[in-house]
Amino acid sequence: MQGSKNITINFIINDEIFNNITVPVRQHLGDFLRSIGLTGTHIGCEQGACGACTVELDGKAVRSCLILSSQINGSVIKTVEGLDDTLMKKVKEIFLKHNALQCGFCSSGMLITTKEILNKKKKLNREQIRTEISGNYCRCTGYQSIVDAIEEAIEDNIKDI
Amino acid sequence: MVDITLNQNSKLGSIDRPNSYIGRSLTRDGAIRHLEGGGKFVDDLILPRMVNSAFLRSPYAHAEIKSINISDAQKYPGVIDIFLSEHIDTVCKPWIGVLSHLGEMRSPEQSPLAKKIARWQGEAIAIVIANTRAQAEDAIEAIEVDWVEKEPQINMETALDKDTVVIHKELGNNLFWTRTVEQGDVKKAFKESSTIVEATLDFARHTGVTLETRGIVADWDKSEKKMSIYHNGQAPHMMQHIIAKHFDISEGLVRVISKDVGGSFGIKVHVYGDEMAAIAASKILGRPVKFVADRLESFTTDIHARCHKISGKLGVDKNGKFLSMEINDLSGIGPYSMYPRTSAIETNQVLNLSGSPYIIPNYKAVGTVVFQNKTPMCQYRAVGHPIAVAITEVLVDKAAKKIGMKVEDIRKINFIPDDQYPNKTPSGVPLEDLSHQATMNKLLKIMNVPDLEKQKKLDLEKGILTGIGIISMCEVTNPSPLFYGVGGAHISSQDGASIRLEGSGAVHVSSSITEQGQGTEAIMKQIAADQLGVSMDTIRLTLGDTDATPYGGGTWASRGAGIGGEAVLKAARTLKNNILKIASAIMQTDIDTIDIANNSVIRKNGGEGISLKKLAETVYYRGHEIPQGTNPELIATSSFYIEGIPFVFTNSAMGCQVTVDQDTGLIKINKFWVIEDCGTQINPKLVEEQIRGGVIQGIGGALYEECVYDDQGNMQNATMADYLVPMACEMPDIIVDHVITNSGRSILGAKGAGEAGTGGAPAVIMNAINDALSSMNKEVTSQPITPEKILKAIGKI
Amino acid sequence: MGKGGEEFIMKSPDFCYYEALSIEDAIKFKSNDLESVILAGGQSLVPALNMRLSSPSCLIDISKIKELKNITKDNDFIYIGSAVTHSEVMQNKIIIDHLPVLIDVLDMVAHPAIRNKGTHGGSIAYGDPAAELPAFAVAANAEIILMGLNGIRTIQASDFYHGLFETDIQNDEILTSIKYPILKDNQKILFDEIYRRHGDYAMAGVVANIEILNNEINNLKLVFFATGTKPEVALKTSELIIKDGYDYSNVKNMIKTELDFESDLNSNAEMKLHLATILTNKILKLMET
Repeated sequence: MQGSKNITINFIINDEIFNNITVPVRQHLGDFLRSIGLTGTHIGCEQGACGACTVELDGKAVRSCLILSSQINGSVIKTVEGLDDTLMKKVKEIFLKHNALQCGFCSSGMLITTKEILNKKKKLNREQIRTEISGNYCRCTGYQSIVDAIEEAIEDNIKDI
Repeated sequence: MVDITLNQNSKLGSIDRPNSYIGRSLTRDGAIRHLEGGGKFVDDLILPRMVNSAFLRSPYAHAEIKSINISDAQKYPGVIDIFLSEHIDTVCKPWIGVLSHLGEMRSPEQSPLAKKIARWQGEAIAIVIANTRAQAEDAIEAIEVDWVEKEPQINMETALDKDTVVIHKELGNNLFWTRTVEQGDVKKAFKESSTIVEATLDFARHTGVTLETRGIVADWDKSEKKMSIYHNGQAPHMMQHIIAKHFDISEGLVRVISKDVGGSFGIKVHVYGDEMAAIAASKILGRPVKFVADRLESFTTDIHARCHKISGKLGVDKNGKFLSMEINDLSGIGPYSMYPRTSAIETNQVLNLSGSPYIIPNYKAVGTVVFQNKTPMCQYRAVGHPIAVAITEVLVDKAAKKIGMKVEDIRKINFIPDDQYPNKTPSGVPLEDLSHQATMNKLLKIMNVPDLEKQKKLDLEKGILTGIGIISMCEVTNPSPLFYGVGGAHISSQDGASIRLEGSGAVHVSSSITEQGQGTEAIMKQIAADQLGVSMDTIRLTLGDTDATPYGGGTWASRGAGIGGEAVLKAARTLKNNILKIASAIMQTDIDTIDIANNSVIRKNGGEGISLKKLAETVYYRGHEIPQGTNPELIATSSFYIEGIPFVFTNSAMGCQVTVDQDTGLIKINKFWVIEDCGTQINPKLVEEQIRGGVIQGIGGALYEECVYDDQGNMQNATMADYLVPMACEMPDIIVDHVITNSGRSILGAKGAGEAGTGGAPAVIMNAINDALSSMNKEVTSQPITPEKILKAIGKI
Repeated sequence: MGKGGEEFIMKSPDFCYYEALSIEDAIKFKSNDLESVILAGGQSLVPALNMRLSSPSCLIDISKIKELKNITKDNDFIYIGSAVTHSEVMQNKIIIDHLPVLIDVLDMVAHPAIRNKGTHGGSIAYGDPAAELPAFAVAANAEIILMGLNGIRTIQASDFYHGLFETDIQNDEILTSIKYPILKDNQKILFDEIYRRHGDYAMAGVVANIEILNNEINNLKLVFFATGTKPEVALKTSELIIKDGYDYSNVKNMIKTELDFESDLNSNAEMKLHLATILTNKILKLMET
């Protein structure tokens, strides 16, 4: 019985299957994703406080800086580069329409967080939306345009229910 | 939100013509790359043979480095090399952060790495180059330093006392710079004042907290002797000049590329030792070196801002007319003045801007700037404005309350009237094209002050403390050469733009302004397409590359639209003229009979025109078809800088309503309004978003943000969990509206809009909170206004 | 001779990783390697690693051990496995039906993305004095179930916390589950905290376990957090309130005599004492509604 400093694992990222990939166990998932060219996931604080590095792990939004690459064996991961279903394409259009981003550094985390909000299929008021995104730092917009965008995305997503 | 601005500017043509894009809230289509994960940030870059770096930094605010032993660390896995100051200095010349036009500034030489003495906690001592950042950090732990701690100089208020530790012995004391501005006879005017009010306000240090930390990749190509720099900065040409100068490289052989930048706010326009050290390491090693600050490094090495204690006095006559104002500002800037802008400008702005919306015939302002063993302080968004606006507007409120006037009425009778420009600030700085009366009137109308007052009364009956605040302010934008250039700094106040029509009919624009999310790309495209008469989708744009764009100052001081935009406008008009001349030759018609619209040269009388694509193809491939002697230039380049005045000022009025919880000291901002006059709005939506983002940063400074130091100069909260940036939950929606007074200094008529929110929010929040506390006859005077300060003020703790 | 600059480091030190196959397996590994630490959700551990505040030899990942991922109930107790995430707790039918106040508490724990990974046992075992769950466990009279080389033992949550980040977990032990008594019909747990930004650690917080008899408080247990070095029961204050009801000065004086307040960056000890007093009143008002 002993641990190891490198680990060979299998996982799926944005529908691409990765088999027998060896990663250093101390590397966090955010750094790992960036090391394979998925640089849309941004590193802002490495302590889970800013939300920039948020990705989807097995269907749930998580901070990629607080997960070690060694922990993703057998997991399915989605990053901003993989948000190409109809729902998220529409969400991106709505973000553009409201100018719900300026520098773009928080956007990948905001979109993954928005995806999780939309998964709930629940109408939220502005205050509730603000609570949902309260772990995602944006220095540029002041949040209002992001709340506008998510509000419209929720409306759009539940209008057929 | 405004879809189309009230047309604004007759010099631009009517808003209902084809391709009329200036003044429309068009979508920033280019921003889609960020939503696709395709932004190009510095840390995304991987070059062949690139190595990473990390810094050994001083754990002490003030300490002597007796010796450094790097031999164990050098043997660590992945380590390429470790450099100390003595190595770096062989390729990089030191700098001094002083200007010559504002009186004597005294700051010592600074090198990329500290030599014998570390002067702030976080100052870089050694750079470790390794294959990965983690390996570089492993090695840092193995560097042995023999430190001798020295007593730190922390408190700015005792910086000049006789017994205080002197940070730079050769200077004799801790004074960096002092300036006095005086207009009229202050002493006499105070004597004649029937009422005098006083205030002393404190502003803590805070910092920019750009979500993307500072970063650089330096790539020294030995074969070409060329330095390529990928840098998340705001001023590529300034960096090019500085790198050439300090690394002794011909300026043409330095290329600085600044593509996507994850927020800057002034943080990324300065020269940082660690970045210079990374460049030096690349020059020594002959391979690309990356340095990207982590968040802890950001908090302790990105410039901090504010750190002021200001006292002020306002004298008024019995009718409430302002007679005299005096301020005395003290600021602490860390151990060095930053390069090349210096750390004097924030205080200078305080001296220049205090009282600026009003007629105050007698004015005196004294600024004193001292050294401390803390992170260097320098220009951050709304430089000096929060301090100047707060001291002014707090005094104005006090005066009104003391003489029993409404706060809006005392402002109205003291404003420089909208029809009396050009005029001057009380400090003597020229002002023109401002509208304090109109913006305040509009603000009061949309706020519905009588209703707010009614609600405040009802709340008070229920024991709820509600307060209302209003302010007016001037915002410095579009600086002219009289700002930095006159003082000897090689900071361009000029910006350039180049526009060419390509063979495909596409239009290519390049500008010296960079994009950090404000929407530079969108507005430059709008100006070019509008002025040229082409559709938006024909425009392509290059920004942020010294090899590919015209020379210019870059993006700071809210100058992108007003200066860079004017350069694009001028270039577009020149190109249009060139195109029309060629077309008139081809079409055998007088130039006055044709125009460009919808990507074609059209005949004004409706006859057949020629598409720009066809015209370009003719010029590029079949020049023989064009009458000889026709100028075939389908490219135009223009430059612009502001002439005759130091700055173009913008003005705003702001209001807010807050509730103060007497039990917890928590403050809730219920409503926030801004009326902004930034002249021509190229894209109103983007203007509004600049204002909103700015207000939120202002709220950060007013209520949350502070770099907390202990008495040994250690920053206590240098993490994103402990340093409180504004997050979505606590922030209000902000109502923005406009008054439009075009700047007469350009055809475009645009002023800047990036700083007002940050400059004005701290004052209006302070006024609103003090209005809420006025029923208890209490006040707060220190920012950030924390729950603890509220509870102390009202005697709860 | 001193080393310099440790505090500017953000990449984890080198360590190894071990995915435990079972509880026993994890115990065995941990008792063999005293420098190793348990990794459950990692939402407190990984930031500490990133800043090199902790340099373990090895991380023992217990997040995939099935027995630790259950929430079960018998007649008197609810058992929450230590590797159940906060989000899973919040969506669990047993919790929704029988301990809904825990959902309100968890709603205040950081942000959704942290709760998706952070675990119940992790938060209890970490024992952050400003965290909600340790105080909740103490107030709810929970028992902490630990397993080690000598088998299973159970300890009252109030005895589990010794001091700042110090708990009763022994070197060979792993926290396997938390056992919450099901509330009686006349009993409720109320919770409130005061914070500057949603999701941050509170400036002060309280969890109260209240039993009502004939419309009067029959039993009260006030537990404060974010006030000192660990969640603390304010017994005498609770008694005072049963006897005399709320009076700001009396309650403040009593809290002052029985709790030790520690200043932090957002509020000093005096402020925390004031807020603890205010919170007591808020809880009593909540009770009335």
